[in-house]
Amino acid sequence: MSKPLPLFTRAFVDSWRSTLGWAAGLAATIFIYLPLYPSVGGSPEMQAVMDAFPPEMIKALNYDQITSGPGYTQATMFGLIGFLLMTIAAVAWGAAAVGGDEESGQLELTLAHGVTRTQVVLERALAMLLRVLLLVALVFVLIRLLTDSAQLNIRPENLFGASVLFAGLTMLSGSTALFAGAVTGRKTYGLAAGAGVGVLGYVFNAVGRQSGDVDWLLNLSPYSWAYGNNPLANGADWAAGGWLWGISAVLVALSAAALSRRDVGTYG
Amino acid sequence: MPPDPDNAASQAITVDSLVKKFGSREVLHGVSFGIEKGSVFGVIGPNGAGKTTVMRCLLDIIRPNAGTLTVLGQNPRTAGPALRRRIGYLPGELFLEGRITGRRLLSHYADISGPVRPGRVDALAERLGLDLDRHTRKLSKGNKQKLGLVQAFMHDPELLVLDEPTSGLDPLVQQEFLTMVREAQANGQTVFLSSHVLSEVQQAADQVAILRDGRIITVATVDSLREGAVRHVRFTAAGISAADAGALLAGVPGIGHLEVLPAGDGVGLSATLGGAIQPLLRVLATLQLTDLVLEEPDLEESVLELYGTIRGNGNGGTNRGGRRSRKGHGA
Repeated sequence: MSKPLPLFTRAFVDSWRSTLGWAAGLAATIFIYLPLYPSVGGSPEMQAVMDAFPPEMIKALNYDQITSGPGYTQATMFGLIGFLLMTIAAVAWGAAAVGGDEESGQLELTLAHGVTRTQVVLERALAMLLRVLLLVALVFVLIRLLTDSAQLNIRPENLFGASVLFAGLTMLSGSTALFAGAVTGRKTYGLAAGAGVGVLGYVFNAVGRQSGDVDWLLNLSPYSWAYGNNPLANGADWAAGGWLWGISAVLVALSAAALSRRDVGTYG
Repeated sequence: MPPDPDNAASQAITVDSLVKKFGSREVLHGVSFGIEKGSVFGVIGPNGAGKTTVMRCLLDIIRPNAGTLTVLGQNPRTAGPALRRRIGYLPGELFLEGRITGRRLLSHYADISGPVRPGRVDALAERLGLDLDRHTRKLSKGNKQKLGLVQAFMHDPELLVLDEPTSGLDPLVQQEFLTMVREAQANGQTVFLSSHVLSEVQQAADQVAILRDGRIITVATVDSLREGAVRHVRFTAAGISAADAGALLAGVPGIGHLEVLPAGDGVGLSATLGGAIQPLLRVLATLQLTDLVLEEPDLEESVLELYGTIRGNGNGGTNRGGRRSRKGHGA
């Protein structure tokens, strides 16, 4: 072995176009939404518009805090478009890492070389992690840059905490996709499982916030774990961060175990 | 029959009573064979016979349900990456996608396999006529196959496991590939290759195993296959009646499919010869031959007889490029 982490390097470097594309999408979202805050979210007219909407809808869309800078940033970026983009990216990477590679027939050749299956899973999960961290770091930096000009009034430590939770929430969907792909050898199952965690988390949050009768749904929603206490306004719930990152790490370990225990490339 | 320990040291691969099931379907029913170090061993059989499954077991890509495997003295199930660095593997169906040049892809595989001598990749690519600077997904099937071959040969592994190596290659490149196999053998490397047609294997291999429906039908040297193989004989002779000629030829051992037709003042005759040539020549010498064709033995035909299939049912040498089932449950 002439270079350290060869599989990580290939997974990370060969996907630079994709990483750059997601970075451009996130940056565009931030530059389109956040500078509008003073004229949209922070304006007195906005409060009037919000008052006219049904309260159930406001809660489902997390717009209840939208007239404050942190609430606006949470509702538009971390809670909606950013969440959507990052979840799609991580799910695509996670599903491709093992399931997609196996389905395309390329994993067989990689495994015929001097690597272990655990190494394949760990290095590719590491490549996914690094890409997620880079994108979230970009989000952090851009929001920091816009905080003053867009009058967002977000404290740096709260932005940092929300970013860590955002990355953890993304990694949970990504590692679920990785795990389902590693168990089944199918990219589609990985995509479905990863997207399922993202979508159900969002839906459980939206429904669970409606009334005390269904608020147990919030306990099942990783989205609610991350964002339930408005981290941009109130600071991160680090225990929730621990759950998001911890479960992601367990899923990566289970992916390695699952791939190590089965035949490769033999689905019908 | 358990592998003889004395034998094991001289064998690159020992397969003993290998059983593999996919779900409830058993695809290998106790396959046993051994490959001497430094030899070229071919396995042939129709699609679905289990060739690819055997090879994948050797690389620990899939795991046997029963039986023992020894590859370069180790069990591939437990030997780990160090063993696979000593092997060069070409999968039966090669998928190379992505926006990456052949050169970069090979450099990646070099990173996860044995050390590659400087200049080795370029030398191999030049021999095979492969452009390393093109993106792999734009390569034709033949060029992808060349890339796969370079990948298998580049680190000069002790053992080469090549699944249908000549698939998609044009005849000139096939010849170059055969030269590479001979050089590898001269270099002390062991080569295990597969094909569904004998003609691709017979020029390269010392020994051939014939696999059918998950069982080894026979293991034979190419020479012994050749001895047992059938030749076609055709001749015309003057001054003899069809009945006499037929009676003469019928007395030669190994003659079959005898057809005699009157031709002019003599006869035209065609037959197959399954045995030695000498008795036939003695008979022919008594005739006034006007023409004689004694063909090279047709190994394909003798192998098809071992398959137990008849030429023409689409399940032998005539189906090249025909049905190739999807990975895994396939060959």
